[in-house]
Amino acid sequence: MSTASAEVTIVNRLGLHARAAAALVKVAGRFASKIELVNEPRRADAKSIMAVMVLAATQGTTLSLSAQGEDAEQAVAAVTALIADRFGENE
Amino acid sequence: MTFSLHGIGASKGIAIGQVSLVERSQLEVREYTVAPAWVEAEVARYQRAVDDAKEQVRRLRQRLPRHLFSQVGAFIDVHLLMLEDDAIAGAPVRRIRERFCNAEWALKLERDALVAAFEAIDDAYLRARRDDVEHAVGRVQQILAEQVSAQISNTEGTQAPPRPAVDTARHAGRVVCADDLTPADTVLMQYQGVLAFVTEYGGPNSHTAILARSLRLPAVVGLHSGLQYLRDGDEVIVDGRHGVVLVAPGGRAIDYYRSRQDQIARHHAVRRKLLRTPCVTLDGERIGLQANVELGKDIADATQVNADGVGLYRTEFMFMNRAEPPGEAEQFHAYRAVVDAMNGAPVTIRTLDLGADKQVDGVRPGAPEAANPALGLRAVRLCLREPGLFKAQLRAIARVSAYGRVRMMVPMVAVVEELLQVHSMLQQCREELATEGVAFDANMPVGAMIEVPAAAICADLFARNSDFLSIGTNDLIQYTIAIDRIDDEVNYLYDPLNPAVLRLVQGVIKAGHSAGIPVAMCGEMAGDSRYTRLLLGLGLKEFSVQPNALLEVKQVIVNAHVGRLRKLVQRVMRAHKPASRKALVAQLNQPA
Repeated sequence: MSTASAEVTIVNRLGLHARAAAALVKVAGRFASKIELVNEPRRADAKSIMAVMVLAATQGTTLSLSAQGEDAEQAVAAVTALIADRFGENE
Repeated sequence: MTFSLHGIGASKGIAIGQVSLVERSQLEVREYTVAPAWVEAEVARYQRAVDDAKEQVRRLRQRLPRHLFSQVGAFIDVHLLMLEDDAIAGAPVRRIRERFCNAEWALKLERDALVAAFEAIDDAYLRARRDDVEHAVGRVQQILAEQVSAQISNTEGTQAPPRPAVDTARHAGRVVCADDLTPADTVLMQYQGVLAFVTEYGGPNSHTAILARSLRLPAVVGLHSGLQYLRDGDEVIVDGRHGVVLVAPGGRAIDYYRSRQDQIARHHAVRRKLLRTPCVTLDGERIGLQANVELGKDIADATQVNADGVGLYRTEFMFMNRAEPPGEAEQFHAYRAVVDAMNGAPVTIRTLDLGADKQVDGVRPGAPEAANPALGLRAVRLCLREPGLFKAQLRAIARVSAYGRVRMMVPMVAVVEELLQVHSMLQQCREELATEGVAFDANMPVGAMIEVPAAAICADLFARNSDFLSIGTNDLIQYTIAIDRIDDEVNYLYDPLNPAVLRLVQGVIKAGHSAGIPVAMCGEMAGDSRYTRLLLGLGLKEFSVQPNALLEVKQVIVNAHVGRLRKLVQRVMRAHKPASRKALVAQLNQPA
């Protein structure tokens, strides 16, 4: 069991809005690890769309991302890349 | 009697037609206790309802017309994910087992908790996603209610007919008025030829609003308790721009709005025609018409007006409001998104144009405050002073040049040495990338932005060391006339038609032509259609403008005769009295 973590900044204009949250949950769902996002004081299981949306992460918010499990590092890398890539949207 | 209801104009356009009221029975949820022996049956009933809800949503997605998929498909996915979320799929089940309560009540408790969490969000857009929760929960509640009524009917020996949540066919050709609409309702109704949407709830970011805009249907939302005054079949006019619903309008109001409708239709027709028209003058000169972009929204706007490319991509916003500047990877991804969105059309990336007045957060903390920011350490000066910051950007731009037609533009150069230093740093980055085996385009054009009078006067020297020039008029005008245009005391002097400015512009265009390199203009002057003919007459062949000004400038270009304009412009340049100069410019703008 390994752990990994990173700080990620939301760069897309609308923040973690519905569509972005959906993309994040789908990517997180591909990993076995438990993945958590924290926007103090709110914490969210990255595999739950409700929790991710309620994080209220707007553009410019920095989140702490952490994962625990055998594919923790890959999971953190994939989620970080998705956020940096503005959730694959052409804004 | 005519009266008007006022809400939020969520999607512009005018519709005239009859009201079709959507009455969604407010499901009243009651709590009751389930006998311990029946708890697992209640859990199974709940899980079946959630499964049915998911199945409904999946079927809806299959029925989506292809052209709507990218816009609407994502919303439907959100609903599906919500139905799969533990908050709906798991938590109510645990409540049923712990509290021996019925499925409806367990779901209601969970819904109340979720709605409270969403309402605590500060951001209006994210808070509006509360509606998604309501819609997803509402769908499950509806199914639970139908199961009960089906059971009751079954015991009476009849089969309850399956019915859709909203009967969509009867809305064709009418104005749909509802307390609220789910994205699914909205999509299906559009499919049925609905004229407009009017809703009691919702704001400018509600799904109804977003979808109405993407479907190009007029919509008024947030009509607080206005719905009670509407009856099925009422004649209404919906003005989606102003958020007004006129009920039982008189003949004159109808005439007025019909003529507005015609006007809008004509305006759209002209725009559509202009979109397809090549950007060529009456005497056959091909003029480049590109877009200035900054945020993602601008890129969509630029492609919508068929811009020839991006003539100015401002990169500053990425560096603001954050603790540390973005790294190479983040910049690369951002640039890549723009290059991909432009689909092979050229993209001119301007290197960082910040500093002094607009600080880059996390860079040079504690640096002394500039006495005169506009003349201080900014743009390329700052970049050359902070090679670490600049190299990350140069590497990101070089890397993205492998994925499209990328050009790089350096702002605020005052002396040729600055340009040469940028060239050598870029060369160094390319060599590093080559050793790392990372792809880049070795022929990516690099140009100077001419916005300092020193550079404009010596434009020939810059032209010899550049692949293109681009005139930034906003700063050029301020520096030439020595005024700050946000200073009310002196901004009356800010004038693009100032003869010194025009001579500099003309000189830069000539220097580019003699050196055989293209000259563009990306300042505000390029996007102001009052100056288009003047600039054409000065020999400008590339304009880069705000997307929303592009078609207006294009309209002037395609109706201009450059040969004739040249002669007129020569007279403007020779005029020695301000009054005669103004008169000549006015004459220039009279269509021949």
